[in-house]
Amino acid sequence: MVKLYGFTHSTCTRLVALVCKEKNIPYELVHVNLAKGEQKDPAFTANQPFGQVPYIDDEGFILYESRAIARYLSKKYPNQGTSLIPSDPKAEGLFEQAASIEAFNFTAFVAPIVAEKVFKPRRGLQPNEERVTELLAMLQGKMDAYDAILGKQKYLAGDSVTLADLSHLPHGTVFCQAGYAEVFESRPNLSRWWKDISSRPAWLAVKDGA
Amino acid sequence: MVLKIHGHAIAPLVRLVAEVCREKEVPYELVNVEVYKGEHKTPAFKEFQPFGQVPYIDDDGFVLYESRAICRYIAKKYASQGTPDLVPRDPKAEAIFEQAVSIETSNFYPFALGITTEKIVKKHRGLEPNEARLSDLVNNLKAKLDVYEVILGKQAYLAGGSITLADLFHLPYGTIVFEELGYDMLEDRPNVARWWKEITARPSWLAVKAKA
Repeated sequence: MVKLYGFTHSTCTRLVALVCKEKNIPYELVHVNLAKGEQKDPAFTANQPFGQVPYIDDEGFILYESRAIARYLSKKYPNQGTSLIPSDPKAEGLFEQAASIEAFNFTAFVAPIVAEKVFKPRRGLQPNEERVTELLAMLQGKMDAYDAILGKQKYLAGDSVTLADLSHLPHGTVFCQAGYAEVFESRPNLSRWWKDISSRPAWLAVKDGA
Repeated sequence: MVLKIHGHAIAPLVRLVAEVCREKEVPYELVNVEVYKGEHKTPAFKEFQPFGQVPYIDDDGFVLYESRAICRYIAKKYASQGTPDLVPRDPKAEAIFEQAVSIETSNFYPFALGITTEKIVKKHRGLEPNEARLSDLVNNLKAKLDVYEVILGKQAYLAGGSITLADLFHLPYGTIVFEELGYDMLEDRPNVARWWKEITARPSWLAVKAKA
């Protein structure tokens, strides 16, 4: 059984849990006590040297970085559950394009916004509002591009859902919960796509905790 | 039809694609995009690259953008020529490769890009760097490189004993931060210094630096 070392509400931990649900892969969440700094202990950094969650232990094979774990599990069980990564060379190219769009044109802006507005206050820190304004302004242009792409096809890599779409869910959901849902809802194609992916049963199963 | 890379020779991620083409012995033609005149922001350009960014490629009519996606596509299409295993095929080796790629995405690039933005991009726009932000970025990058130091003390490259795309992805912005801007982050990190020296000495990269 896959052991998922993480934190139940962590965005990146929930990405891995989501893929496990999509692919019907049983997993065991091993709770890492972030509040006590367990992720910085030598016992943890021996497995994840950056001191971040999550990492997995798949029958002795240790892997970290949630996107890497998601890809590994998707490829290990290609014919089980939802197919998440295409194998045809051009379809795979378009998947990689979409996965890169998620990392550099979405999460690169959304993650620091939610870090400022949601995670900092939880630790008793003040958000840097100037930075949030700057990031949000840059994100708007990106969201216009998403709306253009999703006006021509159902999902980011084409007409089938892939891991690239699902990778938006953890940070995107916190972003909506933080009061920014209008960024998606004001753009018709983006809104359609967001409603579609965020209502997937696998996401609903882990949305409130891995 | 020769592979066309649409971009500007000076753009870091255009150079990344050129580098990988050279590693894989894939001939290419660089089609100039007048970025200084804002050509990449025009509706005509955005038909191909909706985010208004360079590069994109045209491989006999197949259009692809996002430099790292392009590099993966080329490395896989031409797997049997040039530098081997830039994307490993064995499942566990591939997983460790993906881990290394993700390390570059999350633990290197945001800081290297941020430093480049503050020191170079802003300057081009007549703006002053945000010194507090720059200081944070530099400190964060150094902390991440301390972890690279540990990883590279156990293996020659980020994904194991052989070079992969994960290492090459560091070349454009690493060159800006360590060489062009002169941030000394390697002297106290001998394993990182060794790795950096190796990857920057590759003939493909030297050729791209001379002329993309």
